[in-house]
Amino acid sequence: MGTVRRYDLCFAWMDALAIDARNRRFELLAMPHLDAAFNLARWLTGNTADAEDVVQDAYLRAFRYLDTFRGENFRVWLLTIVRNSFLDWLKDNRSGRQLFQPAPADLEWTDPNPSPEALLLDRVDSETLSALVAQLPAEYREVLILREIEDLSYKDIASVTGIPSGTVMSRLSRARLALRKAWISNEKRP
Amino acid sequence: MNHDRAKHLLYAYADRQIGIMRRFFLRRHVTGCPSCLAELETIQATRSALRTNLPMHRAPPALAARIASALPREMAPPIPRQRLHFGFAGGSLAGGLAGVALTLAVTRVVPPADPLVADVVADHVRSMMADHLTDVPTSDQHTVKPWLSARLDLSPVVKDFVAEGYPLIGGRLDYVDGHRAAAIVYRRDKHVINLFAFVANDRSDAPLRLDTRDGFNVVRWRTGGLSYVAVSDVEAAQLLAFVHLVESG
Ligand SMILES: [Zn+2]
Repeated sequence: MGTVRRYDLCFAWMDALAIDARNRRFELLAMPHLDAAFNLARWLTGNTADAEDVVQDAYLRAFRYLDTFRGENFRVWLLTIVRNSFLDWLKDNRSGRQLFQPAPADLEWTDPNPSPEALLLDRVDSETLSALVAQLPAEYREVLILREIEDLSYKDIASVTGIPSGTVMSRLSRARLALRKAWISNEKRP
Repeated sequence: MNHDRAKHLLYAYADRQIGIMRRFFLRRHVTGCPSCLAELETIQATRSALRTNLPMHRAPPALAARIASALPREMAPPIPRQRLHFGFAGGSLAGGLAGVALTLAVTRVVPPADPLVADVVADHVRSMMADHLTDVPTSDQHTVKPWLSARLDLSPVVKDFVAEGYPLIGGRLDYVDGHRAAAIVYRRDKHVINLFAFVANDRSDAPLRLDTRDGFNVVRWRTGGLSYVAVSDVEAAQLLAFVHLVESG
């Protein structure tokens, strides 16, 4: 056996080994974040069946692009893919329907007149709060979920959503303000 | 810090996402500004409402299994592996890299008695004993391939690797595992290598797998919808080198 063939043999073995190592690496990296991935997809799509489709698509993509993951934070990397899968799912399933509405530019960052009512928001029940969040524009919803449930930093939210960190700050502020306004008008409803 | 700037940063302050210096100056402003203080309380109430009451949707139990089965076939749960000791692993292979790679890589699935392995080994032995090695004895790949394709509904890799030390001897028809199979015959020094190609029920790709039985090495894999099995009494290392040629051929 010449040198070349000896290395060929090694590569054949390494190929076989690499496939296996890749699967195990993927399992170890990705499976612990299944709840996080599903949670984001569920909040974005609004229902379980579509969320499952989005997460499955995201996991297949993540598996395919695993070699492009360079360390850092796998959850952030994976959630970025989940979000992209969601956007593609939107294109395929909701053609013509714009779920990502541009945020009203004139919406204030902070409540000009903080009312005592707003303080009561911490007593809102989970069901009402879910319904209120579900009605927010998707671009508000996603930053709220990433911040309040996933507890991502502004920097990580910027990575997942592809918007600058400064915009994350203002968008989160607007999202929470919009939520408060929605809650107040919900309370005033007879 | 002035009022407008402070107001702008209140959310980030509540989220603990601003640096220590800005934090310090912001806190100093807020303690002296009733408007900012009230706003901060509202923000914190909103924040804690979201954190305590916003439900986390957990993945349905079946989702993990659904994803696992949708992933490429190699994603199946790991099969217990056992180290396989080859005579050549240390001795016949020089070179640090080669040695390390093999030591790492020489693991394999140890199956219970595998009918396919027994079958191809029997085919292999019969092919040499009955003096019926080839139906079409030629080293011309352009003869062997059409000859096989005309008689079987498949088109396997047929290539003369004489330059690499594995000359093509010819082809014949055979049966493997109950399937009509193309047997492509090669030689390595004085040893015969039978390469079987057939269409199995399972057509999904499968990685290389090495088995040893009665002194014969058997390597099988599936690619492009075709099942391949190489069998020979050459060393496992040489058979794998051959398989690698076929795969990249
Ligand atoms: Zn102020």
